[in-house]
Amino acid sequence: MSIEQGEFVAVIGTNGSGKSTLARHFNALLCPTEGICLINGMDSNLEENLWEIRQTVGMVFQNPDNQIVAAIVEEDVAFGPENIGVPQAEIRPRVEAALAVVNMTEYAKHAPHLLSGGQKQRVAIAGVLALLPKCIVLDEPTAMLDPKGRKEIVATVKKLNKEKNITVVYITHKMEEALLADKIIVMKQGKIEMQGTPGEVFSRVEQIKELGLEVPIAAEVAAELRASGQQIAENTITPEELAEALCQ
Amino acid sequence: MSIRLDNVSYTYMKKTPFERTALKEITLTIEKGEYIAVIGHTGSGKSTMMQHLNGLLSPDAGQVFVDDVDISSKRTEAKKARNKVGMVFQYPEHQIFAETIFEDVAFGPRNKGLSEEEVESQVKAALSFVGLDYDTFATRSPFQLSGGQMRRVAIAGVVAMDPDYLILDEPSAGLDPQSRDSIFREINALYQARKMAVILVTHSMEEAAQYANRLLVMAKGKIVIDGESAEVFQNHREALKELGVDVPQAIKLADILRERGLQISNDVLKTEDLVKQIKLAKGWM
Repeated sequence: MSIEQGEFVAVIGTNGSGKSTLARHFNALLCPTEGICLINGMDSNLEENLWEIRQTVGMVFQNPDNQIVAAIVEEDVAFGPENIGVPQAEIRPRVEAALAVVNMTEYAKHAPHLLSGGQKQRVAIAGVLALLPKCIVLDEPTAMLDPKGRKEIVATVKKLNKEKNITVVYITHKMEEALLADKIIVMKQGKIEMQGTPGEVFSRVEQIKELGLEVPIAAEVAAELRASGQQIAENTITPEELAEALCQ
Repeated sequence: MSIRLDNVSYTYMKKTPFERTALKEITLTIEKGEYIAVIGHTGSGKSTMMQHLNGLLSPDAGQVFVDDVDISSKRTEAKKARNKVGMVFQYPEHQIFAETIFEDVAFGPRNKGLSEEEVESQVKAALSFVGLDYDTFATRSPFQLSGGQMRRVAIAGVVAMDPDYLILDEPSAGLDPQSRDSIFREINALYQARKMAVILVTHSMEEAAQYANRLLVMAKGKIVIDGESAEVFQNHREALKELGVDVPQAIKLADILRERGLQISNDVLKTEDLVKQIKLAKGWM
């Protein structure tokens, strides 16, 4: 498989299908025991590439509480750049820019543990952005958040991809979130079972359900209507498309 | 048979600068046999209220009764009453500790003072309820299971206590759709079979709409809406929006279709309702 610069790729699959294992290969937290994984042309099995790979691809995990290291938001965001030896004078503008992107500028001096889950997760994203990555891998970043936090994260990720042209790999169990991607990869028992645009993937309602997953509600309704003999295009997967199909 | 909260208030870190009132004069009755979903923003007081139902927290003011026994007292009667309320916390798999699945599930019943035979039969029943085969799993280590299976073991541990009231704090968080559906199927089967009360804390409006027959919406330490699920989603749309609470996807989709001129009634709650309404509106049935 390959992912191009600027793509937004969602990875779905049941627990244990290999999503997170796959994702951890993208920044060399895991290296393949067989085969080869090239990040921007760098082989992750060669130790001399590790630092550069990890600056190219940043990771954000599920639990916001496990990713915060400092007692003040801006120090937390500065941790990454400090660690890789970015000159002092450059750190501040990087931190400020990163916090601005995730809309957390006004919280720069706050204590992270008093923030909401969505805010903490945005600080974690800012921490990755401060390393100026080309790609961000997010492993179920909204699983522990309430609906409001979830919306904040989804909006932030969309912005990174569309405005900053950062490649996004987004692992999720929420099919509504997967709809935002350019491409969806469906995993099953350590293999890629299916991949394609959201339209291609979610129109195969039966197959997706057999995999223990679900489809977005509009796709499900469209499939039910098709099953009862109505003419509804296969790639009807969003509410707007369904409305279009039904209300011409 | 009921849990009754009578004017319950609770403040965290009282008499310090960090003082925060989490519950304000809550009066509520939960009958055995009800399936209740509790929804509300993070920080609205859901978890604080849950912890009052089995005496993990004691109210600063007001009283909590389980089957008419005030559970804050130190009498054995109160301890027995607290035992009737089982609580499954968020990410319960983090609380698994024993070397075998049997030992983990048996911990509660043993603590309750049951005989070894009774403990065994409770463990058997509880494991079968959560869909884990006793002979296969009893002697295995719980730490080699998948996330969904571990969560089932944790739920079994509470079910084995044979509670009359079962509290579940976001039982599906972080699970894939398949594991989520099977956990809810099991909870439902349990609810049907034992006629217990189920109190489900959730951020998922789909779950609330699908399973619960009564909905409590909390905000700022109070219960602001209390009603039958369908009725709440239908008649309190604006209020829910203001509280930052979502509505089920089927309702949102129904709204979009209605705006585009399709005649869809406003009592749609689940996907199947919506499909039916669309067919009616288009004259397809």
